Amino acid sequence: MNALVALCHFCELHGPRTLFCTEAVHPPSPSPPQPGSAIPGDRDREADREGEGLTMRANSSATQRADMCEGCRSLPASHPGFVSVDSETGIRYLSHQHPRQPQLFSVVRQACVRSLSCEVCPGREGPIFFGDEQHGFVFSHTFFIKDSLARGFQRWYSIVVVAMDRIYLINSWPFLLRHLRQTIQSLQDTALKVFDNEQCVCPQRAVRMNSAFSPAVFPHQRSGNAARSLTSLTQHSNLWASLHSSFSWLLKACGSRLTEKLLEGAPTEDTLVLIERQTEQEEEMSGWDCAEGGGSNPQPSQSESVQPKDFQFDDGRQEDLLGPKFKSLRHLRQVLGANDFRQLAWHVLMGNQVIWRGADPGLIQSAFNVLKALLPVGCVRAVSYSPHYEEAYRCNFLGLSPDVPIPAHVSSSEFSMLVDVLNVERGCVNPVSDDDILSLYQFNISSANTQPTDKGPTLLNKIEVALSNENLSVEVVSLCLLCLKEEWMNKVKVLFKFSKVDGRGKEDTQKVLALLGATGPGEEDNVRLLKFWMTGLSKLYKSHLMTAVRGGERTLTQ
Amino acid sequence: MPTLLQKLFGKRAVGNGSARDCSTAAEQCWASAEFDLAQIRLIVYQDCEKRGRQVLFDSTAIHKLDTSEPTADETKTPPNRSGACHISSQADDKDKPPSYQYTRPASDVNMIGEMMFGSVSMSYKGSTLKIHHIRSPPQLMVSKVFSTRFGSSTSGSTNTLQDSFESMSQTFPSHTSSIGVCRVRSAPLLCLARSASFFAAHSNPVDMPSRGHSEDGDSGIARSASLSSLLATPLPSPGSSFSSGLSSSYQRRWLRSQATSLQHGPMPRWNTEEMFSLSDESCSSNPAMIQRKKIAISIIISLPEREEENHNFQEFFFSHFPLFESHMNKLKTAIERAMIVCRRIAESSQRVQVYLCRVMEALGEFRMTVWNLYMAPRISEPVWLSMISQSTERNLLCQRFLKEMSLLMEHGAKSQFLAALLTAVLTHHLAWVSTVMPSSLPPIKSACQKPASQTVDLLAKSHPYNPLWAQLGDLYGALGSPVRVCRTVVVGRRRELVQRVLYVLSYFIRCSDLQEHVQPQGQMDNPASPCTSQTTDPTPEKTCTPKPDPLKPTACVIGTSEKALNSDLGNATPGTSVEQNHEILLTDTNSTSPSPSLESTAVRPEFTEMGQECFGEDSDSVGGGLEHILANQSPLLHRVQFHIGSPSETANDGQAEGLTGAGCERGLDRKLHQRLLSDIWRKESSDSALGDSDDEETSPRELYGATEQKEYELPLPSCQVESRASVNHFGHSLLGGYCPQYMPDFALHGISSDLRLKQCLMADLEHTVLHPALDEPVAEALCIVADTDRLSVQVVTSQRRVCEGGRLGRDVMVSNLVHTLITSVLQLFALNIASDFCVMHLEDRLQEVYFKSRSLAEYLRGQTRVHVKELGLALGIESSDIPLLAAVASTHSPYVAQILL
Repeated sequence: MNALVALCHFCELHGPRTLFCTEAVHPPSPSPPQPGSAIPGDRDREADREGEGLTMRANSSATQRADMCEGCRSLPASHPGFVSVDSETGIRYLSHQHPRQPQLFSVVRQACVRSLSCEVCPGREGPIFFGDEQHGFVFSHTFFIKDSLARGFQRWYSIVVVAMDRIYLINSWPFLLRHLRQTIQSLQDTALKVFDNEQCVCPQRAVRMNSAFSPAVFPHQRSGNAARSLTSLTQHSNLWASLHSSFSWLLKACGSRLTEKLLEGAPTEDTLVLIERQTEQEEEMSGWDCAEGGGSNPQPSQSESVQPKDFQFDDGRQEDLLGPKFKSLRHLRQVLGANDFRQLAWHVLMGNQVIWRGADPGLIQSAFNVLKALLPVGCVRAVSYSPHYEEAYRCNFLGLSPDVPIPAHVSSSEFSMLVDVLNVERGCVNPVSDDDILSLYQFNISSANTQPTDKGPTLLNKIEVALSNENLSVEVVSLCLLCLKEEWMNKVKVLFKFSKVDGRGKEDTQKVLALLGATGPGEEDNVRLLKFWMTGLSKLYKSHLMTAVRGGERTLTQ
Repeated sequence: MPTLLQKLFGKRAVGNGSARDCSTAAEQCWASAEFDLAQIRLIVYQDCEKRGRQVLFDSTAIHKLDTSEPTADETKTPPNRSGACHISSQADDKDKPPSYQYTRPASDVNMIGEMMFGSVSMSYKGSTLKIHHIRSPPQLMVSKVFSTRFGSSTSGSTNTLQDSFESMSQTFPSHTSSIGVCRVRSAPLLCLARSASFFAAHSNPVDMPSRGHSEDGDSGIARSASLSSLLATPLPSPGSSFSSGLSSSYQRRWLRSQATSLQHGPMPRWNTEEMFSLSDESCSSNPAMIQRKKIAISIIISLPEREEENHNFQEFFFSHFPLFESHMNKLKTAIERAMIVCRRIAESSQRVQVYLCRVMEALGEFRMTVWNLYMAPRISEPVWLSMISQSTERNLLCQRFLKEMSLLMEHGAKSQFLAALLTAVLTHHLAWVSTVMPSSLPPIKSACQKPASQTVDLLAKSHPYNPLWAQLGDLYGALGSPVRVCRTVVVGRRRELVQRVLYVLSYFIRCSDLQEHVQPQGQMDNPASPCTSQTTDPTPEKTCTPKPDPLKPTACVIGTSEKALNSDLGNATPGTSVEQNHEILLTDTNSTSPSPSLESTAVRPEFTEMGQECFGEDSDSVGGGLEHILANQSPLLHRVQFHIGSPSETANDGQAEGLTGAGCERGLDRKLHQRLLSDIWRKESSDSALGDSDDEETSPRELYGATEQKEYELPLPSCQVESRASVNHFGHSLLGGYCPQYMPDFALHGISSDLRLKQCLMADLEHTVLHPALDEPVAEALCIVADTDRLSVQVVTSQRRVCEGGRLGRDVMVSNLVHTLITSVLQLFALNIASDFCVMHLEDRLQEVYFKSRSLAEYLRGQTRVHVKELGLALGIESSDIPLLAAVASTHSPYVAQILL
């Protein structure tokens, strides 16, 4: 809890005094909302902590001086105090006679004085809450401790809980009251036993009656130990260590009394797939390690390894390769021209195999990286550069060196498209910049596809609008693409549930397609897209739906 | 306790056969027992320097004079449980205000005055809050003590009200004994002590100047002030966008834990200067006019006699305190008004009547609000909270929820009532946003279940904040920027229909679920008791665990002196100088000194000398840090100006200025430092503000011996805890059912007629902005009013006072996104797809809204003008979606609001 607990005493000689104080010192913030926006003064606060040493020592030491009587003192001047560490949270609970932090010293002092000599509690024993924004807020519980030598045979104490969070402190009233009462009761019971013992040995009442008018009656003129320490009143040699433990526990328990369960959204399909792939890869790697004794290098050829980070922007390898690259979908579109780009993107979205053949692997990989953003992660199977042809079931993005022949069944298939990257013949008179891809290369696009690519899918139509609008930054376009993909992924989920899990008929499926907004112009393409994208759903999601069905149906038929 | 729990939440889901019954199922009453209006008593007290303490109002001393019905005392007729709590007497004869008779205040007023003001009055200028528990008869007393503020014109006649009371005693000869003002003399001192200054402390107000006045702008307090201003500013800087995955829910909680942290010491906050106005005009410019006069308002609530009821009420009261306090502030404003208004009336008995009438009316309001807050029916199973807490009944809940929503959709099909209502709710109750923001962590259980936020969990453990507060903000939708709070009221004569709307909305108005961790009853080894193992035998042999013997110093560093000394000056903190100055200022009250100020002035030259010495000797290390130090010091000197018993503050201010040099001691070598410290210690008298004369010296070496040791480490005691669903949390209490009357607190509730709503709403919204129960500044308060009879949805705001055609607020434009969202979810449901899946789809669609808001925010970054057409073409955002998406975007990208405003 963002609070401190202190035991205070109204000394017959010195007035209200802070005896013992337990603070909670929190670790540095786990993660401020954002590095740049750390609360101003954060550094200063660190500095505060750095600099605490001197002033606080000055303080606590100063107040532990010999001028204080036994009753005003808890730990002897030489005592370093106590600490308990909550290993789970890193919070440290520190106890000293006075708080270590200078700004808290006056706060506690104020709370002590108000608790014992300003605020009025009916019956003088009991709980009060008081405070204001400037001095902090205090829950105080005053109580008496029996002392056979004190005036009225008792001494007055209070335990104060000080916090800045007014509402939290008030919310905690019932809890604090319940537990402080236990603490107080335990102190009082112990002291009562001591008192009774002392009274048996030497009944003070009689002593006092006999010396009724002698000056010795006045406590401050009695023998030196008139003001007895709480240790002596309870005959509890480890009192302060115990109180430290009690107070530390109280702070911890009060802080964790209420916990909240705050839900986040479920992870996106992309996240789930990435996690699954990563797990698979780890398992594979460890499998290899076992089989080959870790001897040979298990290089997974050129095939794409999945990065657990944001797939859209990450590409570690691209940096390794020099030469011109495609920077964004818009860049690719500018280089290829709107028509060729449309065709290319259409094939990508339909799940057809897209083959790029050329001498520059870096360029080809950059093209794939840009194009992959069009698809859900689960739909991407890429072989970025290979010396021989790979079948379509193995990859939908394939990069080939210029001399690799394309098998006839592939080049004649309507489900594949080929982009040949040709070097432009030119003299090296002008050193061209890397950006100017068109001056270096020529792109030939070919496919056996006879279907029109200009109607759908709806998703592509919308992306093209965004890409062609130069007012929109690349970031806006990529967020826009993210929205569109998520939107269509959600449709994919419904279709999967409907057709694969529930196995509904055609008529119903058509209804669902209509309500998903997949019908109308480009309907055929939309449906193809949905069916292709279905293959990209995470295993976790699919298996959940499959198992949930049984549970779900049961409740339906109940 | 268990019986209440059973009563409230024992009701399990009813069979799914009759979903229609669900929404109409009996709503639950909160309270376990009757609550009588007369249980609430109001006392207004004044503490004046010259005239002592006077009771200005005591509700127990007031009797209504009613010729027709002499026994009619509204407080004596408790409203029945199901019916509304009306103050009928006022409603009936509005033209003829009731007349009241003020009799002898109860015998306990003296004691109550003592408790309200304390035995020593404080000269702190802000308001002070106090809560007392009175054991017999069991009562809770909440007091607010205010400093007064006068206008120049009326400052001369501040006592007219008391004069009137006094003169009134003559108009009621039968009550002459001590009608009216009861003068209370200063309380006898609680304890006696030898020291003269101790008495001084009692006879003089404890001097606590308000911080805001004494500090200059670019001072070191900027450290904390900037933090609070960050919180107080509704619009953080555009750079602070949190679009990188951390939700505003997290951010709010983190800021709260920082803002309320003790480690920063007390910080001036946004509402410190709350005063009691005794005049219409703003504060008099003449400071001489300001007298030392305080007005305190106390609400005393009699607690139920039965132990369990008493316990339950207290749990409710303390967990809902922010709401009680907010209503108390309203009451205070009304009392202020009453005093100002009645002062304008010349004739004294009439003046008293006006005053009594107005205060009684305000008290009636307060009583009724509290009664309603405690007694009003609640939604027995709010959909969202039930879904996240009971995973076993999820399917059933989903089914019921969708069925209710379908019925509602059918009902208002033509007018798009549901779409409009959900547009408004999703736009303003923004807590849903963080529940759809995609998690980056793999799901623990199953794909469909939303994971609990681990970052928030970690934060709560290491930097505790108040989960109740967080929940309140969630419910009111205070997650956007600028901070807006919203409530939703559903009006309609058809109970069943209204309840259906409430039920459906309880899915969309979201908050976190709270768990309470308590120590099981009868646990033997209680960590709270320091002497448990000792109670049988108080001999030192049988010591309590943990023993200190195995203690070893640990590497716990809270800045050892070595470290502090070596740390470079650049890091020097203003805090360093605080304590010495603080100590020194306290010496003013030293009783041994015949003239405190003399002693202090004696200290001063030494310090300045020290400062010079320090800079001279070690100029290298001082270097560039010097400016920093000096710049940071001065304000903190002011900050420590709490000196008890010091009669003069101006003198101290001057001294403090002179002592600035002392702060440089961090750059000193140890020797110098010791000298400095010993000088300080010689001059100050320990921590005694109340003075003591036996000043002794301690050698600095001895002190250093202490400082270089490290604390003994003890294990942190652990204790078994039981977790249970928390009963008294806002997620349950602020989702109201079909209530007999309009309620100003509920995040959601239904009413049959908007009559009272129309009367109170604007004032309530304005009050919310002035005194938000949320305990943080609020830019705007809103209320969504859905009328199921007229099938209309309007949003009323605290910012728009006049609406065309006498209507409350503005009609809601249906967001196309929301419309398609509901339609497709309900169509899926109609196609007989598992309801569990439909709800998952609903969540997916809400996530789409979130993603869209991200692209809107990105689009707006750097834009000065919004091209609505472009938004539609490029981003698929229609103009009808913009208010919703902008509100959602403001939770992760605060700059959005600035651009769209």
